[in-house]
Amino acid sequence: MLDPYLKEALIRKLTALADDEVVLAQRLSEWVAHAPILEEDIAIANLAQDELGHAKLYLELRQELDGSDPDQVVFLRDPLDYGNAVLVELPRGDWAFTMVRQYLFDAYEGLWLREAASSRYAPLAEVAARILKEERFHLKHSSLWVERLALGTEESHRRAQEALDLLFPYARQLFRPLEGEEALVEAGFVPDLKALEGPYLEEVGSFLKGVGLRVPEGGYVPKSRREHTEHLWSLLAEMQSVARWDREAKAW
Amino acid sequence: MWGTEWPRYEVIKQDTERSLPQMVGSVHAADPEHALLVARHVFVRRPSAYALFVAPAEAFFHVTQEGLRDPMALEMPEGEAEAYWVFAKRSHRRSMVYGDLVGRFLAKSPGEAVKEALLQTQGVAFWAVPERVILGTEPKAEVIESWFAPAKDKTYRLQSYYGLITAKEMEDA
Amino acid sequence: MVRLRIGYPEDPDYGERLAEFEARIARGEKIEPGDWMPAEYRRQLIRMISQHAHSEWVGMLPEGAWIPRAPSLRRKLILLAKVQDEAGHGQYLYHAAETLGITREEMVEALLSGKAKYSNIFNYPTLTWADIGIIGWLVDGMAIKNQTMLAQCSYGPYSRAMVRICAEETFHHKQGKEAVLLYAKGTRKQRQMVQDALNRWWWPTLMMAGPHDSESPHTPLLLRWGIKTKTNDQIRQEFLNEHVPELLEAGLSIPDPDLRYDEKTGNWLHGPILWEEFWKVIGGEGPMNRHRLLARRRAHEEGRWVREALEAHARQRLAQAAD
Repeated sequence: MLDPYLKEALIRKLTALADDEVVLAQRLSEWVAHAPILEEDIAIANLAQDELGHAKLYLELRQELDGSDPDQVVFLRDPLDYGNAVLVELPRGDWAFTMVRQYLFDAYEGLWLREAASSRYAPLAEVAARILKEERFHLKHSSLWVERLALGTEESHRRAQEALDLLFPYARQLFRPLEGEEALVEAGFVPDLKALEGPYLEEVGSFLKGVGLRVPEGGYVPKSRREHTEHLWSLLAEMQSVARWDREAKAW
Repeated sequence: MWGTEWPRYEVIKQDTERSLPQMVGSVHAADPEHALLVARHVFVRRPSAYALFVAPAEAFFHVTQEGLRDPMALEMPEGEAEAYWVFAKRSHRRSMVYGDLVGRFLAKSPGEAVKEALLQTQGVAFWAVPERVILGTEPKAEVIESWFAPAKDKTYRLQSYYGLITAKEMEDA
Repeated sequence: MVRLRIGYPEDPDYGERLAEFEARIARGEKIEPGDWMPAEYRRQLIRMISQHAHSEWVGMLPEGAWIPRAPSLRRKLILLAKVQDEAGHGQYLYHAAETLGITREEMVEALLSGKAKYSNIFNYPTLTWADIGIIGWLVDGMAIKNQTMLAQCSYGPYSRAMVRICAEETFHHKQGKEAVLLYAKGTRKQRQMVQDALNRWWWPTLMMAGPHDSESPHTPLLLRWGIKTKTNDQIRQEFLNEHVPELLEAGLSIPDPDLRYDEKTGNWLHGPILWEEFWKVIGGEGPMNRHRLLARRRAHEEGRWVREALEAHARQRLAQAAD
């Protein structure tokens, strides 16, 4: 049986992982019917579905630990308790912003999942291996886009650079451990984020430079998962609106 | 070619290692690599697949059975011999029949490639495209795993995942 | 590239070829790209297929609006998959139309300029979450009747697209029905919400089948050429006979005081349709017409720099490869 402190920390971690996916999926789905071309409407809907599917997997792992209902956690939890990274809650911006954000997130996930696939917590290892398969394809998609936008026209290059300037510091937050995460790392349950940051910076740094983008220095990096921007409240208000509208509803 | 909608690429899908690649439709994309990615998004949503290929739509030579009645239909200027993929539609009756790959033929023109294919098979329509302009996914385990296998796991996309509920059953519940 | 063989009435061999063409259709053969076809056949098909494609694309807007608000993970996934399917259907249909020699660019231009039509049903707003369930059950239910019929269509690419689309649409139909049945037996708020949605979508759905046969001049030719195999009223009747009993069984009421069951024919007969509204909405004066077009135009405009960037990149690569 899991030590209670470890269990709490794992629940917190799984929820944060799910929160990232849920909020990112929300931003992606805002593009559906508004993408630059019909084929990309299909692609972005695919990405959003995949991310939601991942959230479901993490929340089902949590459900095994504390019996919580994934829908309750997503749609009825107090917005102030959401632990997503700021990177994913930022408004979708233009296509360059969405693709650069997606790339930065996909690259992080690729590294994290590869390590997590050997987690000593078997259920997580299994889920990570499954998700990793899809993430590899996501990374192909987002990196293809970043390359084409960076190298395309002056305008697309400018938009991509502006997006990167804003987003890059937020990507660093992905490598800040949560409260209690050290114990999980020690137990071999989750990868050590600090050890992943170097390889991440090298991988994305070399890719971005390779397509002519300048990796920004400095910038504000949020210190904890409790830190958010003004955007999160409206995002969650809309996302939870129907579920909250009828609290008596037993099923939707 | 370059309107507001990007060029068209024909998409060829191979469902399993043993099945014939088939022409399943087309996508609008900016370049071959993009076309392959987009083809995966558009054509491998529910059923899984083994491999995908794309080639610019304008590179396809197409002739119908009716067109073949013209003795000059397959005569055209010859170039260097190269490999062509030839697809044939076998029958008009079954509406789900697409162009199936007949084979790879070495020929000096698409017309010649179709002539070779006709020695092996009947069909109501034929397409020939030079192999050199086809881009496909590599049949490596890693690619199949990340590009195609996940679609198999997405059970919520299958009809059988949702039983049919009648009003009576709802009442009893 | 497909070389089209189009026949015009002025052509000397037109009569002979037309007879052969109609005989092929009568034999149940499919007409494929590159086969001889009358110009009018091609014109009607381009009109129908591109309208159908535009409908799928525009239809993503009213439903897409509720993806961010879906009240459970399962519903959200289902709706995302549904809207994605619609995009995919639009995609297959544009492809089918392209086989007739029209480019996607021409079709998109016609839509954005307001010249091309799309299904009227999408000019109505989705006001509540229950609208999503009602659309899935009723609107898609009507669409399935139409599409099942079109799967028998004489033009190969269109009939093939219909077969694929029907399979996916059946999925949406079941999900919509499941949701509506659930809410109809749910809390007071859920019941009121779904009844209200039904009240608003019922008549527009009936109008989807098109004007009465007596008011449809195209129909006889379309029937003869296998472009349609059933009339508008036949489709409408099939829809009513399937859906009315199920809606009533679910405890919902249908906003048609004249609706009655005819023992002799086994048909459910509806009250008078207010065609004035139908023609007004088709003519551009519906609640959401301008908004739909505006949304599509905006997406197109804002996507311009993206499309240009990819074109530039592709040209660069070609130039590099040439070196």
